[in-house]
Amino acid sequence: MITLSQRLKKQQDDRSAAVNRISIRDKLLIKESQEMSQLLPNNCSVFYENENDLSKFILTVKPTEGYWEGGTFKFAINVTEEYNMVPPTVKCLTRLWHPNITEVGEVCLSLLRQHSMDGLGWSPIRRLNDVVWGLHALFTDLLNFDDPLNIEASDMYRNSKEEFRMKVNEYVMLYAKE
Amino acid sequence: MSASIADENENTERLDDASKNEKMFTLKKWNAVAMWSWDVECDTCAICRVQVMDACLRCQAESKKDSYGKQDCVVVWGECNHSFHYCCMSLWVKQNNRCPLCQQEWSIQRMGK
Repeated sequence: MITLSQRLKKQQDDRSAAVNRISIRDKLLIKESQEMSQLLPNNCSVFYENENDLSKFILTVKPTEGYWEGGTFKFAINVTEEYNMVPPTVKCLTRLWHPNITEVGEVCLSLLRQHSMDGLGWSPIRRLNDVVWGLHALFTDLLNFDDPLNIEASDMYRNSKEEFRMKVNEYVMLYAKE
Repeated sequence: MSASIADENENTERLDDASKNEKMFTLKKWNAVAMWSWDVECDTCAICRVQVMDACLRCQAESKKDSYGKQDCVVVWGECNHSFHYCCMSLWVKQNNRCPLCQQEWSIQRMGK
């Protein structure tokens, strides 16, 4: 028989389970946010919209070399409640011409893939610091024309590097200047 | 001449005797310090970053809420010899049946403390 008191107890249990999950993420974030800001690359900065919420922040990358040099690129990083079983969600807020980032901000970075069989995807041993360095490297070492998300951009690069460079510059001038 | 040398020898001998009786330092008390660690390859769970021999982050949070506590948070060793909290690992293998540390297919070698 279902009684009111049982139902109330179940509701309370469900709620406390949700609170627990959040607190696990928050406990991990206290250490990881500190580590991340200590090890931040020189040309990156982090901004918290709400100082009491470590789970949402904006990462700013200012590449000092490569095609996107001179631009300022912002990423919204959201660490969901299921962290660290799932990766943070990342969206690029700055429009840019890049083979691994679409014009609407979807980011293709192997370590942000939740279900990956190649061993390069997300794993709970990874930390926020790895995510920041991964995004930072999308403008240098991890720039990948062979597995593109913006196929048009990678095709353009293959056909004419000069055209690609000009389009990147045009976008930087239009959208990525502070 | 020879007599004076003998005198000197006698003097130094007497000094030695004196220093034996009045030592500069005396040990009155000492404390021994012993160090120990668990005999496992990795003693920290790479998933929740708590020592594997302690309860995992989740169980710690839960036992704080329940007064009876939950102390059955055990350790699990994979065939790859990596160890984690059973609680942490069972959450992870639901989505990817690989060891988070070496990416090998995960299979349990043994469980316990």
